[in-house]
Amino acid sequence: LKLHYDASTEEFRAELRAWLEANQPTSEETLADPMTSSAHMTEWAQRWQRRLFDAGLLVPGWPPELGGRNLPPVQQLVYHEEIARIPVERSANPQGLGIIAPSIHDYGSEFLEEKYLRPTLRAELTWCLGMSEPGAGSDLAALSTRAEVHDDHFVVSGQKIWTSGAHHADYCFCFVRTDPDAPKHKGISVVIIDMKAAGVRVRPLPEMNDREHVDFNEVFFDGVVVPRDHLVGPLNQGWSISAGSLAHERGMMWLNSASRLDGMVEGLLELARQPGQGGRRVGESESFRDAVARAYVDTQAIWFMGYRGFAKFARGEVSPEHSVLKLFGSEVAQGAALAATDALGVEALDVDYEGYGHDLTHGLAPWMTQYFQTYRMTISAGTSEIQRNIIAQRVLGLPRR
Amino acid sequence: MDFEVTPEEQELVEAVRSVLAQECPTALVRDVVENGSVPEQPWKSARELGWTAIDLPESLGGLGLGFTALGLVVEQHGGCIAPGPFLASVTQFLPLLLEAGTPDQLERFASPAGAGEVRGALGIDHGRAPQHQIGESLRARRDGDAWVLSGERFYVLDGDVADQIAVAARVDEGDGVGLFVVPQGAAETQRVVAADASRPVAHLRFDDVGVDPDRVLGAPGASARALSRALERATVAAALECVGACQTLLEMTLEHARNRRQFDQPIGAFQAIQHKCADMFVQVEKARATGYFAMMALAEDDPRRALAASMAKAAASDCQRLVCQEAIQIHGGMGYTWESDVQLFVKRAKTLEALFATGEAHRRRIAELLGV
Repeated sequence: LKLHYDASTEEFRAELRAWLEANQPTSEETLADPMTSSAHMTEWAQRWQRRLFDAGLLVPGWPPELGGRNLPPVQQLVYHEEIARIPVERSANPQGLGIIAPSIHDYGSEFLEEKYLRPTLRAELTWCLGMSEPGAGSDLAALSTRAEVHDDHFVVSGQKIWTSGAHHADYCFCFVRTDPDAPKHKGISVVIIDMKAAGVRVRPLPEMNDREHVDFNEVFFDGVVVPRDHLVGPLNQGWSISAGSLAHERGMMWLNSASRLDGMVEGLLELARQPGQGGRRVGESESFRDAVARAYVDTQAIWFMGYRGFAKFARGEVSPEHSVLKLFGSEVAQGAALAATDALGVEALDVDYEGYGHDLTHGLAPWMTQYFQTYRMTISAGTSEIQRNIIAQRVLGLPRR
Repeated sequence: MDFEVTPEEQELVEAVRSVLAQECPTALVRDVVENGSVPEQPWKSARELGWTAIDLPESLGGLGLGFTALGLVVEQHGGCIAPGPFLASVTQFLPLLLEAGTPDQLERFASPAGAGEVRGALGIDHGRAPQHQIGESLRARRDGDAWVLSGERFYVLDGDVADQIAVAARVDEGDGVGLFVVPQGAAETQRVVAADASRPVAHLRFDDVGVDPDRVLGAPGASARALSRALERATVAAALECVGACQTLLEMTLEHARNRRQFDQPIGAFQAIQHKCADMFVQVEKARATGYFAMMALAEDDPRRALAASMAKAAASDCQRLVCQEAIQIHGGMGYTWESDVQLFVKRAKTLEALFATGEAHRRRIAELLGV
């Protein structure tokens, strides 16, 4: 147990910080052409991702030809800490870079790797991830989008939902049922679908916060022909890819949400200095002070738990922290946003805001909007109930029914 | 940076755990609670194996392994709700001596406390703000070179069994803090009928008790910093002991949930029970991670140490609240009986919440430190 990094690691951090300072997109650039979805690759975003790629700072654990520099785990952690501090993400298409590229790297054929991996890393194409369906949410393995298997192609029919960025994405990394007679986990495969192919239709599904801004979509496939060589991994082995792809960078993905929670806590500290209801400073309220301290402790605890998980991850051990961090982090965010809306009272009703979603160039959204956003956090990527099931059954070893 | 125990630290943890499993079964704790027995163990092992001297500098005959090692040992003591002088003497009395003692006092009190030959206790006001728990109930006044104590110290762990008692008292000069060591017998003691009867708690009454100059720690009126620093250690140790007790409560509860059958299945297969257990696990993980951070902050004398100590206590407080409640709930009626061991652990955890200020008081302190 020790609190500080060694000198060479801190040296790396200083170099990286200087590089990011010099190379990150300016706020003029990002404000002039804002990202509007998780697959909206603007020109500045493309330039930024390529700069990262060329500097070996896009996926630092990978070799230079894949946009990395073979960094050891501790320096990767520092990298993710520093990336989380700046107001733009590494990629305007986070699911493409974080989930789909590593999955193609791990499971894809040489042909697919050649065709899709480097272009994805170089921000030449964008992705959406076809997992959830109207009838397969928490019970993801119940998915029913069908891919008929033919000699040299598949024919895909069915529907996906909550498909982030589908209206901007070039391709869909899509989980489909290729053997309807097999037990539900054993008849699933992954295929790559061209979103411009005949029979693909996208219907935007705006979130409750803003009907003008769309990230979620419903995607309909009606007899879409997919070449056989666009199968990822072996036929009917898609379920293990789903586990593998979501596990990617799990050792460090928590950093983003921890960093966002830091931002919320800073927002609460700022709010404490503001005049509140009845002319008193917000920070004079006992209940607000208690809530801020609680949010601060819990947010710090998320960093500490994340670091503990990382230490296990770096030693090659399995760590349960991912589910704990997902579950706890979303609840901490909810509590923090509620503390602010409570303190603001009627003032919280004004939600005028230019920015959007994960784009922080406009600063934090109004607290009421942030509070509404936390509804999503306890649902998406495995609901809080599913996380509790995972902890109870896989970590604590309680019996399944 | 490493937030996980190293293999060497893990070896220490395993060694302590296995000795305590052998020497401190719950039956021994129950014997203390029910019969007022005063067992030799696990204090004897703690002394012989050097756990009492683990954070004492080598120059004073200690092992000099630092506060992280001590914290890990304390957590294991919590895991078996060890009775005996360890918490009071090693994590409350000794730190104050180390912060404020002269070389003579270190030799006279700290070295023997580290060797386990002297058992110490610490008298403060647990109800006050975490950073300087002095209060007004005990005052000290000058009497030539000596000092005179008058007033009371409440809820002193081991207050009527320790050999030496360090007390913080209000003085009318400087920063208002005076620190003194008095021998057992100097104050009138009254044993508290404590919720957790596995360790003695006493009220101490000082009727104009004279304190010789060689028993005055540091300079009265210029001791607030030493007291705060010592309290940070005591606070983090209490938090870690609480985490240890909560970990065992979680394990007992999981065991029960796997074995207890109703409606033809283990109750642990019910989602209502699974979700409670998951929430207990989250709280224990949170409190442990926060406690370990505080342990490191103190060991490395990080500038965040005061904040870290209050965070650890606040997190341990949240943890024991949920874990105690759900452990009994999931054990059902049997959990509410005297013969169930759950109650012994619950009472220890609740006691640790109240000592060295509650979670709410520590959150007030945190807000203050954050400038809210």
